[in-house]
Amino acid sequence: MLRRNAFAVVVTTLVIAGCAPVPSSGGPAPDLLDATPASVAEILATSDLPVVLNVWASWCSPCRSEAPLLRAAAGEWQGRVRFVAVAVRDERGAALAFIDEFGLEGLEHLFDRTGAVPSALGGGSGVPQTHFFAPGGDRVAVHFGVIDERTLALQVDDLLRRRG
Amino acid sequence: MEFSLLAAAALAVAAAWAGLRLEARLRPEIPHRRLWDVIVPSVVVGLVLGRLAAMLTGGLNPIAHPADILVIRAGVHTGAASTAALITALVAARRHLLPTLDGVAPAALAGLAFWHAGCLLRRACLGTATGLPWGMALPGSPVARHPVELYAALLIAVGAAALLFRRRRPSAPGVVAGIALAWASAARLVTEPIRPGIGAGPVWWYASATLIGVAAAALAASRRRSVPQP
Repeated sequence: MLRRNAFAVVVTTLVIAGCAPVPSSGGPAPDLLDATPASVAEILATSDLPVVLNVWASWCSPCRSEAPLLRAAAGEWQGRVRFVAVAVRDERGAALAFIDEFGLEGLEHLFDRTGAVPSALGGGSGVPQTHFFAPGGDRVAVHFGVIDERTLALQVDDLLRRRG
Repeated sequence: MEFSLLAAAALAVAAAWAGLRLEARLRPEIPHRRLWDVIVPSVVVGLVLGRLAAMLTGGLNPIAHPADILVIRAGVHTGAASTAALITALVAARRHLLPTLDGVAPAALAGLAFWHAGCLLRRACLGTATGLPWGMALPGSPVARHPVELYAALLIAVGAAALLFRRRRPSAPGVVAGIALAWASAARLVTEPIRPGIGAGPVWWYASATLIGVAAAALAASRRRSVPQP
């Protein structure tokens, strides 16, 4: 009886939740510049701010899970940390639709059809992965898989404190 | 697959189980037979609804992306999860509500304490920066930090031990559960300022739960006193 009640609660909640509108920023579509390992290395080397570089793909289910967190983080540390998102092994249209769906216009977006950028960073081919760079391009940490709020906040705080 | 998360969860379940066994041995008058029937659905419903709440507040439609419900690491809405778990426990234990909740509470605190201590397995103990000598640093980082999850684990473990090994005099039904709720919430409330996160964090949820726990314990104690003794 109890299990049936619990199941009914979960199913009802799912149905109600599924009817809820999904928020979208409604902002302008971002530029989706082509990226190569060299262009990304230049961005990192010339950045005066710490950089959080997230590698994702629209077909990657865990990437969908962490997208809201990245949107919130980019808003929270706007002007103090650069959030760069690299879409890999994806279709340009699908990547743009993903960005629009999750309101990720606050991040800087790059497009890497071959997946060469994460390989050059030593991250292999898995997605998602999140790299943390100090100003000047020194990588101080990397996280493979879905990142949680605590880990992201901790690593960003560490980047900012290293910077002094 | 996040095996470290599963290991921490297994540690918490083991601690809750041990707490229940100890409680059953110390207080045979409490009906322990069906306590697991309260704990298990409460935890499951709490996790699922907490995850759904996190998805919705993050703009992720759970119907369109059902697989994402299982990616717990991506976030669980603490307040929604706690509320859902508590309501489920109230429904599950409705026939012997207060004695059942009193029986579950110390074990739940023990499980919660070991869930926080599981940060050692997940390498996720650290909070804000500190100059205190016991500060711990991220690998390769010069910045020492509070081991905030261990603080929370210790605080909650003290509460669990106090409730488990309390004197054998009978307390009013509901007092133990109220104290446990207040203690666990207060432990999270006092550690929240040194817990890194995005935005303000669920401080209001913890403050509300602390007040509700104190009020529930006080109400239960006062009702007991108002009943004329034979």
